[in-house]
Amino acid sequence: AHTAAAQTAQEATKPISAVEFGGTDVSDGAYKAGEYNGLQNKGGLGIGHFDLRGGAAYNDDSALRWRIKGADLGLDTRSLSGEVGAQGVFRFNFGFDQLRRNRSDSYQTPLQGAGSNVLTLPGGWQVPTIAGSTATNNVVNVLSARGLLTTIGTARYINTQTNSATFTGLLTPTAGQISSVSAASLTDVPAFQNYNLHTTRTKFDLAFDYSFDPRWGVSGEFRPEHKDGVKPMGTVSRNTGGDISTIIPDVVDTNTYQTDMRVNFRGAKGFAQAAYYGSIFKNNVPFMQWQNWATGPTATGAINFGTAVVNTMSSTPGNQFHQFSGSGGFNFSPTAKLVVNGSVARNTQNDSFLADSTTPVVPVSSLNGLVINQSFTVKFNARPAKKLSLTAGYKYDNRDNRTAVHVFQYSDAGEAPAANTSFVAGPSNPLGAVLAQNANANRAYSKKTNQANGEADFALSSRQWLKGSYEYERNNRDCYSSWISCADAAITNEHSLRAEYRATLSDDLTVRVGYTYSARRTPNYNENAFLALVPYTNVSPAAATGGATAYSVMVANGWTGWGPASGYAATTGNMNMFFPSNNALANAMYGNLNRISELPGMRRYYAADRNRDKIRTSATWQATDELSFQGNVDYNKDHYADAIYGLQDTNTWAANVEGMYAVATDLSLSVFYTYEDLTAGSAGNTYTANSNTATLTGALATTIGLSGNSCDGFTTLQQRNNNNKLDPCLNWFTDRIDKVNSAGVTLMGKEAWDTKLDLTGNFIVTRARSDNTVTGGNWANNLLMGPGAAPTTTAAYFIAASALPTVSTDTYELRLNGRYAVTKTQALHLAYTYMRMTSVDWMYEGMQFGSLSGILPSNEQPFNYSVHVFGVSYVLSF
Amino acid sequence: AQQVGTAKALLDKDFVCTTCHDASSPKKIFSIYQTRHGNRADARAPGCMDCHGPSDKHIKDPGTGTDVVFTAKSKHLSAADDRNASCLKCHDSKVLPRTNWMGSQHQARGVACSDCHNIHVPDQKVMSKATQAEVCFTCHKAQRVQTRRISSHPLAVTGLGTTAKMSCSDCHNPHGATGPTLLVKNTVNETCSTCHAEKRGPFLWEHAPVVDSCVNCHTPHGSANAPLLKTRVPWLCQDCHSGDHGNQVNSAANLLGGNVTTVNGQQQLGAAAPRAQTGARACLNCHVLVHGSNHPAGAKFQR
Repeated sequence: AHTAAAQTAQEATKPISAVEFGGTDVSDGAYKAGEYNGLQNKGGLGIGHFDLRGGAAYNDDSALRWRIKGADLGLDTRSLSGEVGAQGVFRFNFGFDQLRRNRSDSYQTPLQGAGSNVLTLPGGWQVPTIAGSTATNNVVNVLSARGLLTTIGTARYINTQTNSATFTGLLTPTAGQISSVSAASLTDVPAFQNYNLHTTRTKFDLAFDYSFDPRWGVSGEFRPEHKDGVKPMGTVSRNTGGDISTIIPDVVDTNTYQTDMRVNFRGAKGFAQAAYYGSIFKNNVPFMQWQNWATGPTATGAINFGTAVVNTMSSTPGNQFHQFSGSGGFNFSPTAKLVVNGSVARNTQNDSFLADSTTPVVPVSSLNGLVINQSFTVKFNARPAKKLSLTAGYKYDNRDNRTAVHVFQYSDAGEAPAANTSFVAGPSNPLGAVLAQNANANRAYSKKTNQANGEADFALSSRQWLKGSYEYERNNRDCYSSWISCADAAITNEHSLRAEYRATLSDDLTVRVGYTYSARRTPNYNENAFLALVPYTNVSPAAATGGATAYSVMVANGWTGWGPASGYAATTGNMNMFFPSNNALANAMYGNLNRISELPGMRRYYAADRNRDKIRTSATWQATDELSFQGNVDYNKDHYADAIYGLQDTNTWAANVEGMYAVATDLSLSVFYTYEDLTAGSAGNTYTANSNTATLTGALATTIGLSGNSCDGFTTLQQRNNNNKLDPCLNWFTDRIDKVNSAGVTLMGKEAWDTKLDLTGNFIVTRARSDNTVTGGNWANNLLMGPGAAPTTTAAYFIAASALPTVSTDTYELRLNGRYAVTKTQALHLAYTYMRMTSVDWMYEGMQFGSLSGILPSNEQPFNYSVHVFGVSYVLSF
Repeated sequence: AQQVGTAKALLDKDFVCTTCHDASSPKKIFSIYQTRHGNRADARAPGCMDCHGPSDKHIKDPGTGTDVVFTAKSKHLSAADDRNASCLKCHDSKVLPRTNWMGSQHQARGVACSDCHNIHVPDQKVMSKATQAEVCFTCHKAQRVQTRRISSHPLAVTGLGTTAKMSCSDCHNPHGATGPTLLVKNTVNETCSTCHAEKRGPFLWEHAPVVDSCVNCHTPHGSANAPLLKTRVPWLCQDCHSGDHGNQVNSAANLLGGNVTTVNGQQQLGAAAPRAQTGARACLNCHVLVHGSNHPAGAKFQR
């Protein structure tokens, strides 16, 4: 008996090594099914795992032990790790981990060279067009990617040539137009080829730990990481007078090197550490370059190869982050502890800028960017009485961006630069002439956080606890060296109060209820913060009188960039120059191609006034020795009371219930159901400029009716035009609602049913539904209004917004694993997995042939798959 | 920490307990000797009574519990503070110090070390990437299902079920931290940058909410809106942008066949396309470098 007991002890204490090998078969290739698990391709794959352990036994005087472990060796998700060490003296670790992420197996592009950073159109590429008309020619081919679908490209179209006798009439395309559309489609469509998009991250890890004595030690880690592959990326070009977009295969080829070094002091009453963390990121792709599919002749379908304009996109620059930190904890007594942490880091970036003819003014060749990050925390924890615990803490974080500010001039998206005649060189223009459509100053954002908190936890009894806490957080935001404050909210203050009750109501039942209320306030929300981007707002344009600048006019009148809002009024003098037709601050007056100011009342939610309510509840009930239940309900509400536009509210609630049943000693069953509901509501307004235009071509607007609106009472076009900026019909509101139901069953059996079978089974189903209700709308002029139209013809229709189709995603996964012990050291492992996803998403409509005019189709499809995976492997333990 | 004779001395101390709780015990008590805690050559490694207490009463009357009972379902289960005190005797400052534990979210909510750790088994679930999330999801139920959304980090075990490629502890330090929500670094952005270093910058053109916090736009555990977005674009962008074309209403009227493309049923499909901001990648069709651009023409995140 003694020998048997010793043998059992030896078995129980001896580390078990194992090797597993076999094969698996995947029934169908599906990138999404194999997104992170290496099972993306149809066919067979090897199964390989091992776990080898060795070294001194537990009762040996040597503490030396080692372990080498490998997993998923036959898949693209393989990993390998190992360690050897004499515990308490030294340890050395290494690791290798590969992660393939599949992004799309339905992406298509006509661009050649995918996988490299230079993409070219195929020889013979023709600019896709549709049959159409312009104001001067009613028989032309108009640039449009929709023409790749010939039924769209050769459809009847409206005659928009104003001097045509059949203006507004429907025209049937001519043979020449059809030929041009068809030629492009016939040439271009076959050029679209599948290119599977995936990226692979490969990580290595080397680490050591050495103790000089029980108190002093050093440790370190070096983690080089390489990432490569291709992912989709939107790009924009503006060579044709309008914006066109191409989803290009963006090459990823980067290296990141992370290093940790630590010196530790471990004492009986305290601990201290000095540490260094470094992270160096390098991008091996200097830029992405592609030929613009929309440049070249369009009317005749002439071959465009060689004439396409080349566009260039910058790649993410390399950067470095070096941080030194110190931390320490000291126990003043068994019931009082002080912990202090502090760090300072230097984050830099200095990759050379890409400059070309679209960037006529680039004052420096690289950013020489510098951000200093400082952090400091102190926390004091005490238990003055057995029933009372107190915690007080303070935290300081500072992202101090010290990057210099310069003014860069450029045109958008590859367009040829055009000088701004409002800002010419001269004594009144200290910033110099504006040579391109945009003259922008970079903004070096900084943020400083001060946070203090106190918490008390009181034991009402041996089974009940009450906790209360208060936290104050102040954030300061600004920009180094900016000519005007860049921060929407230079200061935000937030106060939070929390109460929580925990109780063990009986031996079988525990509950927890918590409530948190937070109020964040921004004393002075700055609606003119956008001006930091456009320093010419503070330069007097050539046509201004009295040296006025856009900024001075705004300040004098108390306006934002949106301009006066008291109904239409003809403006004169400087006001008319800066806010023509009572519109927003004219873009050219601040040297920017786009209107970048926001609606008055727009509050950016991350800095806006906010009231937050959080409720947390949970209960655990051990009904019997075999049966237990767990449930919880969480609720969050954020309300942005001051936001007239922008995010208004978010509401989230989730409920979970779970039951666990021990069917037998070695067989258990658990079932759960979770429901989550997320709602976000936003408001906006589609305003356009007020206008005194009284006519729509062909008829007097004052006598022509409007149709479809019901909220503004306007009956004539002129009324609408005069009040476009204040039309209440243009207010819109969206409610985005995500509802997700999830349920799962898990069965676990060890030597189930008194057999040699270990069995685990999981089934999880998730049904997600995303809805978006939209109210409001916009006006559209009647394109059939023209010369000779009847006086009663409707001038403009109000197009009501309507709810988006439901986006749905259903996923099912069944996973069964059985392990049958053939002998004490050998087992057969059988695995079966079924993965299924069905998804419907309107977003993909815009990626197909014949959908969007200015976006080259990528023909990506919503994820739908049904995959069976079978695996069988042999396991040897020793 | 290695000393000749250490192993024997420690094992002799354990013998008080292992006399009864021997290897034949249905509980996996002896397997602790496969673990770091059971490495008897390390003088720092605890003996049974270092964690469970001298337990004089238990020795005399096995029907009573030890001084400190860790078994979750035991009627003698000790209070969380008492269980933690056993661990902190070493782990407060001397061995793998958990300096920030006191006052941390888990400590303050009555979580005990043994709620997550089972130090008697050689492969603790919480210490393995493939199984750690299971342990965390015991309490964090919402996160469990979020990892099953169409857009997620690789936290869920899928496929053959052998590996998860991320663990909760890649981002969170459950033992207490200086960052918010127990993040491993001082801030959200510092934490995210440990993997997403390409988004760290600084960039020539910074996007204010990005440098403020990644979670202004992203929800890291999983989302119905790829890529891990709180809500779908273009509305996510319109929550902050109402200028220029950002002020337009986007609805089903802008989709293929929607009312905008067929005004009063009279405007032909060939003549008007759905709004680009509503289709495909919406705002990201053009403004793709929203995390920051380093191109002199990239102020609008287009280059």
